[in-house]
Amino acid sequence: MDAPAASVLDDRLYQRLVELAAPDGAERGPGRPDLRSGVEQALHHEARLLDERLYRAWLDRFTQDCVYWIPLDPAGDPRTQVSYLLDDRRRMEDRIGLLETGWAHAQEPPSRTCRIVSNVEAWPLGDGDTLARCSTVVWEYRKDRLIPFASHNDYVLATLGENWSVRFKIVRLVDSRSDVRKFSFVL
Amino acid sequence: MDALDTLIQPHRVHRSLYTDDKIFVAEMERIFGGAWVYLAHESQLPNPNDFIASRMGLRRLILTRDDDGGLHALFNRCAHRASTVCQSECGSARRFQCSYHGWTYSNRGELVNVPFAEGYPPDFDKADHGLAQVPRLGTYRGLIFGTLNLDAPSLADWLGPAGPLIGEFVDRSPSGRIEVRNCQRMIFRGNWKLAWDNAGDGLHPTFAHRSFLVLNERQHGGARSLSQFKASPDDTGMYGLDLGNGHMFVDQRPGLNQSFWETQRPVPGREWYADRIVQRFGDEAPDVLEMAPGSMVNLSIFPNLLIKGNTLETVDPVAVAETRLHTWVAAAAGAPDEVNVLRMRIAEDFPSLGNPDDLEIFERCQEGLAIPEVEWVDMSKGLGHPAEEVAADGVRRAPVTHEGPMRGYLRAWLELMSADAKLTTARAGETSFEKAA
Repeated sequence: MDAPAASVLDDRLYQRLVELAAPDGAERGPGRPDLRSGVEQALHHEARLLDERLYRAWLDRFTQDCVYWIPLDPAGDPRTQVSYLLDDRRRMEDRIGLLETGWAHAQEPPSRTCRIVSNVEAWPLGDGDTLARCSTVVWEYRKDRLIPFASHNDYVLATLGENWSVRFKIVRLVDSRSDVRKFSFVL
Repeated sequence: MDALDTLIQPHRVHRSLYTDDKIFVAEMERIFGGAWVYLAHESQLPNPNDFIASRMGLRRLILTRDDDGGLHALFNRCAHRASTVCQSECGSARRFQCSYHGWTYSNRGELVNVPFAEGYPPDFDKADHGLAQVPRLGTYRGLIFGTLNLDAPSLADWLGPAGPLIGEFVDRSPSGRIEVRNCQRMIFRGNWKLAWDNAGDGLHPTFAHRSFLVLNERQHGGARSLSQFKASPDDTGMYGLDLGNGHMFVDQRPGLNQSFWETQRPVPGREWYADRIVQRFGDEAPDVLEMAPGSMVNLSIFPNLLIKGNTLETVDPVAVAETRLHTWVAAAAGAPDEVNVLRMRIAEDFPSLGNPDDLEIFERCQEGLAIPEVEWVDMSKGLGHPAEEVAADGVRRAPVTHEGPMRGYLRAWLELMSADAKLTTARAGETSFEKAA
């Protein structure tokens, strides 16, 4: 296997995440209808890849400078606060590689998931990227339980349409201030 | 409840310790009331009038700092009709008002106002109706503990040889202080002692964390986080200590043949932040980088605090087969910001990649323990083994895969459960405070 790429996470990238995660409240108006179908095409495809545990195909849709972030509530500056996870591409590969070892007990038996993606809104960002927000419920069935993980998700998409790609994915679990059941699959 | 001393034998423990509701209820009173229980860290309420929610077993507390800086552990229970009076996890407040009938308390726990006071009996004295509070509080290097047991030893004596080890953990910061940041909250379906057994268990990483070991070997190669457990951990010199009073210590440092930083798995931002540290500190950079990874020791303070990595993890029982783990991350106060940014990412690394496998196995243990006819849990590894040494201070030392530390905490468990000490609460102004270190 090739040596994993070096991390590109630096102070500038952190700053961009902080700005992205800052609440923009009433100032952000409704999303742009012309962006919605291209965004939905990406988010629905992503949901299917994850539900089918096609993690490598999922990772291929992320840019080299991507960040996958599950903050804790209240979401603060990740430079001074811990998150559930804040992964660059290298740690995303580790997360998938862990499942591929065959020894990840928490995924034996594996989770079966059903993702509902809804309330999709999208806005253009100045640099050609697209900001998308949605509400997501991931239903996880494993052993004798069916558990919902509800979240508001933010995406920065670098490309839309057939060749969609993700630069940032932020999963804000609605209950991250509370005690969360362990999750060992990708949210 | 069977006679408790028949449930713990030198080499094995009865399943009812993990499954019996009556034992759980007794534990929540006698152990989480009779021992010194970790409540919070001073850095979480740094200013006058700050407060933070805490617990002693199932008892909800508001830990407050008054306007003179004094600490108080108030039960979150109105003296009138028992409603909780504070709904926030933390904040700043001089007063707590019950939303049911308006009784209002100071952050020292005094009842300062009863609305419509007309009609109470003539002998009704507000001084008798403050918030009940924990009678004994103490701190050790910024860690705050409380007990309801007036006969408990001093905090310094309770911690014993574990105290200086807390000191070593804190002294990894250049200022000799840690600053506790936010916490990850997890819950699992198992008894709280499954987490406790695991904290002193140097036998499990080779198997329970095989996914993590194999991953690191494949992706990163060389000596990486936990690789000291790949084969024959006892040949590395790693050891465990039974420190007395239930406290345990696992030292992984002898298993490392490189610096903490070199063996740390690569976390997000490693390159950029390490470069900055090298530019800023030159020849001293290796020492600065060494502050970022975890302490490579596991120090467990009975009954509810697991110090590991750079974190303070509280073990919070919810029910006999349900437990919360709250992992508070410690920043090194006085260290360069770059070190603490790396600490945040490192504190997400094993917890999100390795801990799910631990929690899964705790739940599997709880499933197995449901079988009434198979009664015993074996903890005999190392019992009577020539490599087990007892030092002059009573500390028992053994190779890392031995189960001596677990047998040690269960001795403390039995002592507290059998003592049935008188537990009391105090009124405002009647509490004692010990600054142990």
